[in-house]
Amino acid sequence: MASFAGLAIVLLVVLVVRLWFLQVIGGAGYQERAEANRLRTVITEAPRGAITDRNGKALVTSKEVLNLVAQPQDLVGDAGARTLTRLSAALGHPAGFFAAKVARAQKASPFEAVVLQEDASPQLQAYVEERRAQLPGIELQAAYKREYPNGTMAAHLLGYTGPIPVESARKYRDQGYLGNETVGRAGIESEYEGYLRGIAGRQQVEVDARGDIVGRGVISQTSPRPGQTLRLSIDLSVQKALERALALEVAAAGTSTGAAGVAIDPKTGAVLAMASLPTFKPDVFESGTPREIQRVLTSPGRPLLDRAIGGEYPAASTFKAITASAALASGLYTAGEQIEAPGSLLLYKTRFRGFNNEAYGPIALPQALEVSSDTFFYTLGDRSYRVPGWPLQEWSHRFGLGQATGIDLTEGESAGLIPDLAYKRQTCDRKVDPINCSWRPGDSINMSIGQGNVLVTPVQMAVAYGAIGNGGKVVTPTLGNAVVDADGRVLRDLLSARAIRDLGLPAKNLDQVKQGLKLAANGNSGTSTPVFGGLPPAFKVAGKTGTAENPSKIDHAWFVGYAPADDPTIVVAVVVERGGQGANSAAPAVCVTMAASLGFAESRCGSGAKVN
Amino acid sequence: MTTLTGETHGVGTRPRQAAAGLDWWLLGMALAVSGFGVFVVRAATESDVASNSGFYFTRQLAFTVVGLVCLFFMLRINLDDLSRYVWTIYAILVASVGAVLVLGASARGSTRWIDLGPVRLQPSELGKVVIAFVLAVVVVERLKAIEPARLSLMVLGLTMLPAVIVFLQPDLGTALVYVAIAMVILWVAGQPITHFIVAGAVIVAAVGMILYVLPAAGLNVLHPYQVDRLTSFVDSGSDRTQSGYQLEQSKVAIGSGGAFGKGPSGATQTINDFLPEHHTDFIFAVVAEMFGFLGGGLLIAAYFIIVWRAIVIMRLAPTELERLVAAGIAAMLAFEVFVNIGMNVGIMPITGIPLPFMSYGGSHTLTNLVAVGVLLGIGMRGRAVQAAGAA
Repeated sequence: MASFAGLAIVLLVVLVVRLWFLQVIGGAGYQERAEANRLRTVITEAPRGAITDRNGKALVTSKEVLNLVAQPQDLVGDAGARTLTRLSAALGHPAGFFAAKVARAQKASPFEAVVLQEDASPQLQAYVEERRAQLPGIELQAAYKREYPNGTMAAHLLGYTGPIPVESARKYRDQGYLGNETVGRAGIESEYEGYLRGIAGRQQVEVDARGDIVGRGVISQTSPRPGQTLRLSIDLSVQKALERALALEVAAAGTSTGAAGVAIDPKTGAVLAMASLPTFKPDVFESGTPREIQRVLTSPGRPLLDRAIGGEYPAASTFKAITASAALASGLYTAGEQIEAPGSLLLYKTRFRGFNNEAYGPIALPQALEVSSDTFFYTLGDRSYRVPGWPLQEWSHRFGLGQATGIDLTEGESAGLIPDLAYKRQTCDRKVDPINCSWRPGDSINMSIGQGNVLVTPVQMAVAYGAIGNGGKVVTPTLGNAVVDADGRVLRDLLSARAIRDLGLPAKNLDQVKQGLKLAANGNSGTSTPVFGGLPPAFKVAGKTGTAENPSKIDHAWFVGYAPADDPTIVVAVVVERGGQGANSAAPAVCVTMAASLGFAESRCGSGAKVN
Repeated sequence: MTTLTGETHGVGTRPRQAAAGLDWWLLGMALAVSGFGVFVVRAATESDVASNSGFYFTRQLAFTVVGLVCLFFMLRINLDDLSRYVWTIYAILVASVGAVLVLGASARGSTRWIDLGPVRLQPSELGKVVIAFVLAVVVVERLKAIEPARLSLMVLGLTMLPAVIVFLQPDLGTALVYVAIAMVILWVAGQPITHFIVAGAVIVAAVGMILYVLPAAGLNVLHPYQVDRLTSFVDSGSDRTQSGYQLEQSKVAIGSGGAFGKGPSGATQTINDFLPEHHTDFIFAVVAEMFGFLGGGLLIAAYFIIVWRAIVIMRLAPTELERLVAAGIAAMLAFEVFVNIGMNVGIMPITGIPLPFMSYGGSHTLTNLVAVGVLLGIGMRGRAVQAAGAA
């Protein structure tokens, strides 16, 4: 009898103690979980800002689509697993496809809807709508997708968008991103993410176990805020011309593995056009098949590499303008001096050959640039070796070579290479070739014609030649022009604050170089006269070809030039990988690009008679 | 133990005489908890039936009223008179639970009810009181006549027949209540302790066989959902099954109630339907969510008083038969309360046992109030005999 009462008391105490632990000690934790059950955040996506060219023509827009999403809270237990399996089968995926996707996304951000398929087709929409009841937790959600009205046009500079990369999930979350948002991953999309990003609206609602809104309904909400429109300095017509010309040259050369070109306004640094081949579809990461994505990532042609800012090439003869500037500024050469330019030159017991061993006799600097005499510049290189200091290196750096230009594509830019003593010491092999650990006369001589170890990017050369053409201003190339509102009014100027540095080359010296570059494109013996010689007087071009020796045995073709020669509004640098001679494959592309920008007929390109 | 109702004894008006010896604590608590149960069923189910917010409330209220009528009817039933019909009563019990099983099987689904037009009767529920009565009669008649081991086996045999049928319906919880009633009646009747040790060992072995050994041999006695229910309380967090979900939501409901509860309108686990079976098996979690540790604790205290009064009445019982019946009913109530609340708070397996006087359900409500009526009747007769003896 007493034993029954005793047992009853023990059981009572057990229950009460357990209740105490659940409610009084664990209460706060369970309260949170009850709130997580009850409250659901409904996301209203905001469109990402559009990207336009300088005239407001669309380069990238956002299109409203319906995504197929899963609400993980409504997909618990066996029933949830069955729903996902059924859906996987219906859409032709392996059985565990969507379940794995949901599990992965859950790990990253537990309470968010998981996108199963972006931009659901009308058939898929109908399928889901008709089976609402059989597919609890599966819904269609309005979202936005990037659209590229010009296809692959400007793909490299625009970049692409994609899901937040796992490794930076925390960084984005700290900035208020949801785990399933699409963000800029490369190019302008990434650089100007802060302006382009649309901020999703959030509505907190009370729901019941079926996910229906009940009770107090909407508890709090913030409205979606669309991203801002970004206007680039790119001129779509110039961009089209550049891309068309590059594609043509790559095809014509037959052996070419790629090409790149940059057109800049030399006064401001505004980038008018910039292209790189081979290219890719910018929406490949959003809507490409896994195979397409794989191909873009692993193709030996490296289509994702933006060769215009990230491709490093020997500068070759385009570097002669830098050597000339250095020699003039350092007093190694004085205007008017004639230097013998034979077919080859014996220096330090080594024979340095000129291109095709052509001999020009005694010539002055402008003529040397006109005909691109190698031996003339060997002499300047030798002189630079003999004086104290490092004039070639110093002036390379003043022109912006060997360092990033600071273009607003931070992630894709390469610094190139201006070799110096430190570089030689770093890279030589002390055991096999210890003498190579010093700076030798041959290094200066090779460097004078842009070979040796000199590596530059197209955008660097455009900036350097722009500084010659504009009277000594080294600009910062800039793609972003302004953040604008719906009517095109400027909300924020992105261009005017960019740094412009003084080159520090006296005007009389600069004139010597300009004269030479003008002759090179127009003179009787100019290397690119056949291309530019026939242009109308108002559009005279000044520029230099380059034929870059490289490990592939077939030379890279260069041309860098500006126009109009006396007051340039555009400077263009083009490199065609394995394109052969600069005059043949790079110069025509530059001419076509200038034609689109300056407004002369393309047919005038290539109409200059070569007088040889 | 002293009775608290002694002062009403011997007062001479008719209604008072009719109520003489009535255990007011037991009646009061049974009424209070039943009333509270009706209130909680109402609060928990207002949004469950879209067109009728009072659907469960009006029905539970009606069940309770009918139950109270039966309660007062039971006060006058003399169990000794009834013991002449014990085999008839037992046969009716077995036949009715058997009929449910057969009808359920022919309807290609399980059911626990016999459909009687407007009402559905669940014979296994009333069977709890019936089995207590039948076993008590059998024990009293044979206690001195046959050896203890045979008696224990006979009682277990008589229990297992309906219990197995009920289990096959399938209703594991009710079957377990039958077994609990039988064990306590044998214990109170003074059967040797070795019987209980053997019975305990057999139960442990049987559970082991059913849950682990037989399934490994390819023979599944339990439905998969029953296995889930029985095992999910061990580790509900990692359990993605339905019963794991139920238990998890029950714990969230109870825990989120905190010390003082979220009130009837703030109990979102319940009213937003995250807590399944919130008007039946998990109604304790509703109380704990709405009224917190305070409300849950007071309810447990009320149950303790009910069980305590049942034990007091058992001690007062004028005959051995009535003592054993009271013991069986006390066992039924205590077992159901502990197993149900234990299941709600996650320390007992989910066996589908309802909470007495609280859980929604006609047969269940009726059975508990009938049981209280039987107890009160025993108590009144016991006090009358006591008073006669004293006089």
